[in-house]
Amino acid sequence: MSRVIAALDNGLGARVVLETALAVAPLFRASVDAVHCREDGDELARWTAVDAGLELHELDGLVEQRLVEEGERTSVAALVVGAHRVPIGARPVGTVAMALITTLAKPIVVAPPEAEISSTLTRVLVPLDGTAETSAALLRTLTLACAADIDVVCLHVLQEHTVPAFSDQPQHEVTVWIDEFLARYAPCPGIRLELRIGVPGAHVVHVAEEIQASLIALGWSQDMSPGRAAVVREALERSSVPVLLVPVARGEPR
Amino acid sequence: MGSPPNHRFEAAIFDWDGTAVPDRSAPADEIRRVVEKLCGLGFEIGIVSGTNVDNVDGQLGARPHGPGRLHLCLNRGSEVFEVDRGGPRVVYRRVAEPGEEDGLTRAAELAVEQLARRGLRTEIVSRRLNRRKIDLIPEPEWADPPKARIDELLVAVQARLAACGIGGLAEVVMLAEAAAQEAGLPDARVTSDAKHVEIGLTDKADSAHWLFAHLWSRGIPPRAVLVGGDEFGPLGGAVGSDSLMLVPEAEDATVVSVGVEPLGVATGVIGLGGGPASFLRLLEDQLARREQGELPSLSHGPMWTLFIAGVDPLLERTHESLLAIADGRIGTTGTLLGSHPASAPSVLAAGVYDGEGPETTLLRHPVWTRLDLELSDGDAVERLLDLRTGLLHQRLELIDAGPVQAVLFSSLGRPGTAVLRATGHPEALSARRPLVLPEGVEGTERRLDSTVLVAEVAAAPDGGAVVAARDAHTSGRDGACLDRIAVYHTHPTERPDPDEAVAALAEAERDGFDRLLTESRAAWAERWEDADISIDGDPDLTLSLRFALFHMIASVASTGEAALGARGLTGPGYRGHVFWDTDVFVLPFLAATHPPAARALLEYRVRRLAAARMAAKARGRSGARFPWESAETGFDVTPTSAHDHSGALVPIRTGELEEHITADVAWAADCYAAWAGDEEFAAGPGRTLLVETARYWASRARRDSEGRAHIYGVIGPDEYHEPVDDNAYTNVMARWNLRRAAELAGGAPDVDEEERQGWRSLAEALVDGYHPATGLYEQFAGFFRLEPIVVSELASRRPIAAEVLFGPERVRAAQVLKQADVLMLHHLIPAEVEPGSLEPNLEFYEPRTAHGSSLSPGVHAALFAREGRLEKALEWLRVAARIDLDDITLTSAAGLHMATMGSLWQALAFGFAGLRPAGSTLSIDPRLPPSWGAYELRVRFRGSRVRVRVEEDSVLVRSDPPASVAVAGDTFVATPSGIAVDRRGAQGGDRR
Repeated sequence: MSRVIAALDNGLGARVVLETALAVAPLFRASVDAVHCREDGDELARWTAVDAGLELHELDGLVEQRLVEEGERTSVAALVVGAHRVPIGARPVGTVAMALITTLAKPIVVAPPEAEISSTLTRVLVPLDGTAETSAALLRTLTLACAADIDVVCLHVLQEHTVPAFSDQPQHEVTVWIDEFLARYAPCPGIRLELRIGVPGAHVVHVAEEIQASLIALGWSQDMSPGRAAVVREALERSSVPVLLVPVARGEPR
Repeated sequence: MGSPPNHRFEAAIFDWDGTAVPDRSAPADEIRRVVEKLCGLGFEIGIVSGTNVDNVDGQLGARPHGPGRLHLCLNRGSEVFEVDRGGPRVVYRRVAEPGEEDGLTRAAELAVEQLARRGLRTEIVSRRLNRRKIDLIPEPEWADPPKARIDELLVAVQARLAACGIGGLAEVVMLAEAAAQEAGLPDARVTSDAKHVEIGLTDKADSAHWLFAHLWSRGIPPRAVLVGGDEFGPLGGAVGSDSLMLVPEAEDATVVSVGVEPLGVATGVIGLGGGPASFLRLLEDQLARREQGELPSLSHGPMWTLFIAGVDPLLERTHESLLAIADGRIGTTGTLLGSHPASAPSVLAAGVYDGEGPETTLLRHPVWTRLDLELSDGDAVERLLDLRTGLLHQRLELIDAGPVQAVLFSSLGRPGTAVLRATGHPEALSARRPLVLPEGVEGTERRLDSTVLVAEVAAAPDGGAVVAARDAHTSGRDGACLDRIAVYHTHPTERPDPDEAVAALAEAERDGFDRLLTESRAAWAERWEDADISIDGDPDLTLSLRFALFHMIASVASTGEAALGARGLTGPGYRGHVFWDTDVFVLPFLAATHPPAARALLEYRVRRLAAARMAAKARGRSGARFPWESAETGFDVTPTSAHDHSGALVPIRTGELEEHITADVAWAADCYAAWAGDEEFAAGPGRTLLVETARYWASRARRDSEGRAHIYGVIGPDEYHEPVDDNAYTNVMARWNLRRAAELAGGAPDVDEEERQGWRSLAEALVDGYHPATGLYEQFAGFFRLEPIVVSELASRRPIAAEVLFGPERVRAAQVLKQADVLMLHHLIPAEVEPGSLEPNLEFYEPRTAHGSSLSPGVHAALFAREGRLEKALEWLRVAARIDLDDITLTSAAGLHMATMGSLWQALAFGFAGLRPAGSTLSIDPRLPPSWGAYELRVRFRGSRVRVRVEEDSVLVRSDPPASVAVAGDTFVATPSGIAVDRRGAQGGDRR
């Protein structure tokens, strides 16, 4: 069976990481493995796992390296990691999380330590930039979410260069535009699309709060170099709910 | 010897003597049988001969019943007879001009004299219609040589010529040509069949021209034509008589020779030999191919076809809209034969709505185009829509089931009848059901017997559809063959009678695939005869235009009433609601090319006059107020709120305020009457529409203390500003409406003089926002005080939805337009605006227009063309042309933009060609962009088929029957042979 790895550190976010892993596991049709890489003690991590009825698998070595190795196992469907050890930690994410999201070609959920996690995912916000690459990266997530009866809301933010050329009669035009956008980029039944205008990063967190999403799912190219991944940065910095990052297939840059 | 052609043709053109029969006394029972059978299956036959009708018809004796037609092109190109069960009747005859007959005789005598001077005795043996025949070997032995002895004959004639020092037949032909020239016949046709040399006014080339033109007019392209003869090769230096049939139009035809051809055949001609028996086998083979279900191949070439290769999941639904086929009543998207996750098949019926109020939407009908196939990633798919015939060809190469080919059409000749023929492996064609209910649609299905399936879907609150369909399986030469016919009976307000659908299915099945194909193909070709547009030097634009015309033709019925939604029958977008798109943008094309369809559009409005009257009354007004969005009932179905592109819920006020549609309907009625010359309509329902809409404006306008009249609180075509007072478009259209009604209502029993005078007075009082000092019309009261944003300078691109880019509030406070507003007046009613005002208003308003409506580019193309700014005109024309083909709106998946298509035609017809009805005269004022060599368009004007060809220096106008036309102000009578007028307006004389 597939596994979701909850990468527990010995910090304040461990409980949130584990709760997040338990909540997202059905999305991947996976069980949860609690994993801790020994660095500066394991008491909080162990207590967290045991409290949830799970055994804690402990690893030795360099944290980032060992977690990447663990995540690369074929049985691992996704990995959940804390954004930072304490709520006022490094932004957008700490070094461990940063290393994992930019290295491991697997879906990774970054959980903010202050998040309140419900036991089940009820609603996922999936921002889509209207490219086939992002859509392809997120298609499996969308499909599984729909199959798991999770309410999926997509978000597309129109920018200056993507403003439609025409809008004949808005009372009809927007509907047919949305229908076709979903048919192209989120072809699963029951999904709805929120439209906004402006800077995508600014809208993602806001809309997630507005619709009370319990997870934000983003496709991305794992490139955190300056000027790149603005939406991912914004979501990781400001989201109060976990952010699922799904790498776009290599060779198909966003 | 070559190999016989190995595919299905749709027509054959062939020589008689030597090709179809060995000689004129041979029995023709077999060829008669095959000809009659082929015609019965829609095959067209043209027999070409130098002899007369008694000889050929007397020998052939065929009496075909159609639908394929038999033509005898006789007397060496001078006559054409159509033969049906009643025998032959002449349909064309070349009548010699005065002097031509004498010239022929003189030419023949001169030729005989000159040959005699060389020592050769010849005789003029017949003086037939339009020709003279000289016997080069008047000796008993060669009195009537059979074709099989042609090589011997040739040797004998050559020897006879050589004995007189004449080099060969070619020299005799040259001598005869010179004689004809001397006799005053510079265009004489001289041919030789070895025994004779003939001097005539026509030859077999004229027959071929006529036949290829006829076949084209029946929807048969040259590549679907088999040409047969026995004399394509040279004869003693002269050209073989059958080679004259190889006119330029025959370039794509398949040509076979069954003759001896002593010197071989020309390149491109398949030399089969074998004489008439060989040709009979070819025709028998064509018969067998039809009987075994071989698919027709009727592609008219790249300027007539839309080709889509493969399945792109992102674009599949758009492609299905682009490939939609329809018959005016039923429309089906060009969906894949097999199921695919990206596919969204849609079958819609015009005017059959489901639901009530703003939720009213076109009812989704059972789908007839599906086979039990699941397409996978490795399967190859090709689809080709032939615009000239309405045939959708599909070719699949399936990993599991091998090749499957199909042709589908929605019969324009028999609306409501959909036909599919597929060939391939039996398993691939083993569909369990000929109909599939769309997902989410409740309906019933029942089997009448083991094969006929009857499906019913009901609309709320009433109306619906019954569909009867059957699959017929046979085995053919390409594996299995599936023939599926589905008959749709629909009704907007009642449950259709299933028995009628079943009976219609039975009738269609009795007629069979080939007859249905012929019927539909011919109906399409007939429509193109009156509608085609071509541009020399711009094949892409020509194809785009034809694509637009195709979908407009397909979306509107020619009888009863036609409810044309914004996306026609190509998709469910805009819920099928009827807007001004129909009256102002699509109707003019139909009025000018197929008046019955325009009349059906108007009938839709006429039958909803009661609802329009009620709508006016409910607002305390008189007359009739037409709704901004209309469906089955005629009451307004415009939604009152919607989410915009920012996700905000916004009020929609067009239903309440966009009232110009009432005048637009009146304009449409007048436009139709002007083009069609339909006096009965003009004096009946047309006048009622004009009168009732005028009454509405009379009750709607308000006078101020100074006596000026105003229309307060409306939305104009530029929908960025709402509500506004004294919108120029609304007021001037209302003014036109009042004046026109006053003009037409004279003598009407229900309109007294006082009321007419009141309309005239009100029209004079209506403010129109015109500023004489600048020549500008102010779009509405206060427009010139708004923020002077020039969107062409601010936006990085146009067209653009400016309300999305700038926000609706900012746009509302600025001089930013969505589409032509004031300028629509210059486009629709140029006589109602100040002379010379187009230029300043175009200069002012166009840069301020975002063109965020798909209606805008085409109208601006027309206006720039009128203004002579042809580069700008072309720029916007090309935008309009690509809106659906490039899916610029990203919504073509929900259906194609009918109004854009209408605007495209208007840009060509009204803008570039400057066509305008002016009473009983068609006014033409053409513009020709430098990048176009020429362009040609066809219209119907008051019963006349008019063709206008605009070239650099001249305009050629043909009209059948003759019609009055005015070119650049000078009036002429255009005739079938044509009047050429130079671009400055002087008549250049007849053009043949």
